Amino acid sequence: MNLSGILVVAKPEWRGHVVDALNALEGVEVHQVDEASGRIIAVQEAENIHAEIEGVKRIKALPHVIVAEMVYHYLAEDERTYESLPPELQEQQDGFETCAVPAYLNS
Amino acid sequence: MGISRRDFLKTSIAGATAATVGMPLSKEAEAAVLAGEKDWQWDKGVCRFCGTGCGIMVATKGGQIVATKGDPDAPVNRGLNCVKGYFNGKINYGADRLTQPLLRMTDGKFDKKGKFTPISWEQAIDVLEEKMRWALKEKGPTGIGIFGSGQYTIHEGYAAVKLMKAGFRSNNIDPNARHCMASAVVAFMQTFGIDEPQGNYDDIEHTDTAILWGANMAEMHPILWSRITNRRLTHKDMKVVNLSVYGNMSSDIADLEIIFSPSGDLAIQNYIAHEIVARDVIDHDFVKKHTQFATGPYDIGYGFRPANAEKFNSPAEMEIVKNEKAHVIDKWEAIAQRKKEGEVVEQKHTAGLLPMKDWAISFDDFKAALAPYTLDFVAEVAKGDPDESLDAFKAKLKQLADLYCDRSRKIVSYWTMGFNQHQRGTWVNEQAYMNHLLTGRQCKPGDGAFSLTGQPSACGTAREVGTFAHRLPSDMVVMNPKHRAKSEEIWKLPAKTLNPAIGSHFVKQMRDLEDGAMLFSWTHVNNPWQNTANVNHWIKGAREMNNFIVVSEIYPGVSAKVADLILPAAMINEKWGAYGNAERRTQVWRQQILPPGQARPDIWMMMELSKRFKLKDVWGEQKIPGLKAPGFEDGKLPSVLDDAVKMGYTPETTLYEVLYATPDNKKVAWPDPIAKGHGNITADLLKDGWFPEKALFEEYRKFGTGKAHDLAPFDVYHDDKVRGLKWPVMEKDGKWVETAWRNNEKYDPYVKAGSGFDFYGNNGNKMVMGDLDKAGDGKTTVDISGKAKIYFRPYASPVEKPDANYDLWLCTGRVLEHWHSGTMTRRVPELHRAVPNAVCWINQKDADAKGLKRNDLVWVESRRGKVKVRLETGGRNKMPRGMVYVPWFDEGVLINKVTLDSTCPLSKETDYKKCSVKIYKA
Repeated sequence: MNLSGILVVAKPEWRGHVVDALNALEGVEVHQVDEASGRIIAVQEAENIHAEIEGVKRIKALPHVIVAEMVYHYLAEDERTYESLPPELQEQQDGFETCAVPAYLNS
Repeated sequence: MGISRRDFLKTSIAGATAATVGMPLSKEAEAAVLAGEKDWQWDKGVCRFCGTGCGIMVATKGGQIVATKGDPDAPVNRGLNCVKGYFNGKINYGADRLTQPLLRMTDGKFDKKGKFTPISWEQAIDVLEEKMRWALKEKGPTGIGIFGSGQYTIHEGYAAVKLMKAGFRSNNIDPNARHCMASAVVAFMQTFGIDEPQGNYDDIEHTDTAILWGANMAEMHPILWSRITNRRLTHKDMKVVNLSVYGNMSSDIADLEIIFSPSGDLAIQNYIAHEIVARDVIDHDFVKKHTQFATGPYDIGYGFRPANAEKFNSPAEMEIVKNEKAHVIDKWEAIAQRKKEGEVVEQKHTAGLLPMKDWAISFDDFKAALAPYTLDFVAEVAKGDPDESLDAFKAKLKQLADLYCDRSRKIVSYWTMGFNQHQRGTWVNEQAYMNHLLTGRQCKPGDGAFSLTGQPSACGTAREVGTFAHRLPSDMVVMNPKHRAKSEEIWKLPAKTLNPAIGSHFVKQMRDLEDGAMLFSWTHVNNPWQNTANVNHWIKGAREMNNFIVVSEIYPGVSAKVADLILPAAMINEKWGAYGNAERRTQVWRQQILPPGQARPDIWMMMELSKRFKLKDVWGEQKIPGLKAPGFEDGKLPSVLDDAVKMGYTPETTLYEVLYATPDNKKVAWPDPIAKGHGNITADLLKDGWFPEKALFEEYRKFGTGKAHDLAPFDVYHDDKVRGLKWPVMEKDGKWVETAWRNNEKYDPYVKAGSGFDFYGNNGNKMVMGDLDKAGDGKTTVDISGKAKIYFRPYASPVEKPDANYDLWLCTGRVLEHWHSGTMTRRVPELHRAVPNAVCWINQKDADAKGLKRNDLVWVESRRGKVKVRLETGGRNKMPRGMVYVPWFDEGVLINKVTLDSTCPLSKETDYKKCSVKIYKA
């Protein structure tokens, strides 16, 4: 599970509209709205990291959203070491062969 | 995790987010935040990535980083982070972190063709010493080199420059900032006589106009972009102009998008100047009092290998490289440089400092030089989108000139790599100052040409500390005897210890390894075999020559893989550090966690090596090829051992004692209450009771104090309330006060009273008076004390242009989600998954014409090399026909095999933005 705190800025005249649109998104809850500045604090819950990134992209794509930035990130304790590496890096994971000059560097 | 725990966490996260961005909190939210962060220890820190220098707060628990957030008190980012910054806490924890020294070995012995084998630190330092001694014995001080970094902490950069220049008497240290900021630096030094911008980020909230010159701030400086966006939405007169060679995310809120041709920016700048002069909207008073018109030679070459190029370049490469000797003027250059089309111009100002030669000219000459840069001419040269009409493009250029010519309007111009990585990078930087100075728009809140930096301490370390082949701290240079003398005094070195010959710049170090002039290379905090253009040559130079390549690294990137010895390094937050950002703000952090396994701070590695060398090993007579300097007539550095003895050293004294653990430095004791319980692995490993980072910082401060580079004491920056200070920082009534705008009497204590503006960097400098084509006979000189220079610099065409065979332009750069070569950010799963691989952005019509479609795997091939990559016709970048864009973060798509190693001849900075390629199905 991934939780992130997201700052959303909407054009002031569309603030209510954006809040509704955010609440309608799966896994997103609006927690706070600052009337004067149009700033909205949303918390997103996502299945995994992929969904977390896609989720923010989807917020950025909402009409009348000017800014959507992740501000606060919660690192679940069991995720501190990561299995996922780019494929060409993963291939080099066996022992100290890790640092052999890979074929793709030799033209 | 139970539901209630999750709801509780969400409330806590919402509260923390709101607090971070400065929104008022309810009592309930406040309580939730406090409860959620129980047992966490928060401390201030700095983002590891770009030159913006955002403040972040780092939370640790049980020796691990558990959370990071934007620092609400940081004036730069005011609580916000971009997507990279947001994941700062995760970069330390990649699965393949290097945790022990690795040496290529066969049967227990070093073998260049051997396999990486773990060794102890003792063995690693042994081999480091042995190989360095070998290189010094074979070649002298020029046989060794360091690839330094704009990501060095200030302390690391200072330790490295001192080790090389004072210890080994070698100037072969040059940072990756050469690839990134060098053009900006030369333009600062030539124009103002002092490095670093006059303005600061608060210009954004004061201005009416932000003009982006080849800087895609929305992706590369997102936090500054959020401030520009905010200004655009809240200030009704605010206009944003995005000039670029392709459409990008920064165009989304721009009022005007101008797509120009590669190098067309040189012509556009002169068109603006042409209009300023023609419409007489010059700030005559400012120009008269504070500026001097100037120019320089045009026949400066393209920064290729100056001699024996045929020996190292293929015939295909030579088609381009031959321009270093002679260049044929094309039809645009004929007009722009007042020459004839087809004329062969021998390049006479290529060697040494000749490309930098300049002389004063009259305003009438300046005006005459601008005369060809009419709207009609410039529109033809500079139009970048073949599908845009000439009239539409002209209308846009006119709108741009109208903005500059509206004297009631405040303007900030921003640029980064688009200008700096440019075959005429220094020139185009100087042109930006030209238009700002002509209209009196510099050094004022909301008015200024502002060079953004790419790296977190390009300004604070690479430049201010002077980790370049020609530099010493605080804007001093090795060629200047007074500067050497001052450095020798502060460093307590005998006279003539320092080497007056400029060392090898970054690209030249690669060439030195390729041709055998350099035998030992040590890489710090960067990835040279991924970040240097035309890299096939350099991979060969590292793997096939009889040399020794050491790479200090955190993950096995390309450079580690081509190395002979890999030294596992500590990362940010695993050591004490300080960075200086683009607005001159020095920011610091404490060590938060320990590095994993045997990984150790770079500064410790340098100090351990320094213990192995005695003065008798390095301070005897040394031969320096090409050394020509007054006092060094025999081409040698003299032995300074006798003078060293007079100063109280002995031939047996180690470099560690002379450079680092000096009597003064050892008085700076560790532990220190400023640490507030945080550890110091460097001090713990050295075990001799001093605080290296603090002692070196205090010693370094001596260089800048009183020289307009003043820094506050170490402890002032570590005060919990301080969020960095913009240098020069002066003590006033017991307080340390930063300087917001330089050269402006209202803000800068160095400005002469009553002058209004004072470009004191040029104090005491004189220029020879000449005309547009040549310097005069030297009889007439002008004193430019207190003045900035307004240069005329002409349009010059790119050295490699698309032709029938290589029919497309290639531009390279970054993407939002990844930092540089991806060494750190590709280890963060969120960022990796967001942009897993580099793609090649191409215009749909170009793809159609070649029978290619989105996601096709293609070869991108140039005269130098080729890479396989997937095509992208949609997404964030909108390529005009005739140009493709491939980012360089992905080592699997090593685009620098394809790029051209042409540099700005003044700055020696590589142009990564234009070369020609062909594309075909893989």
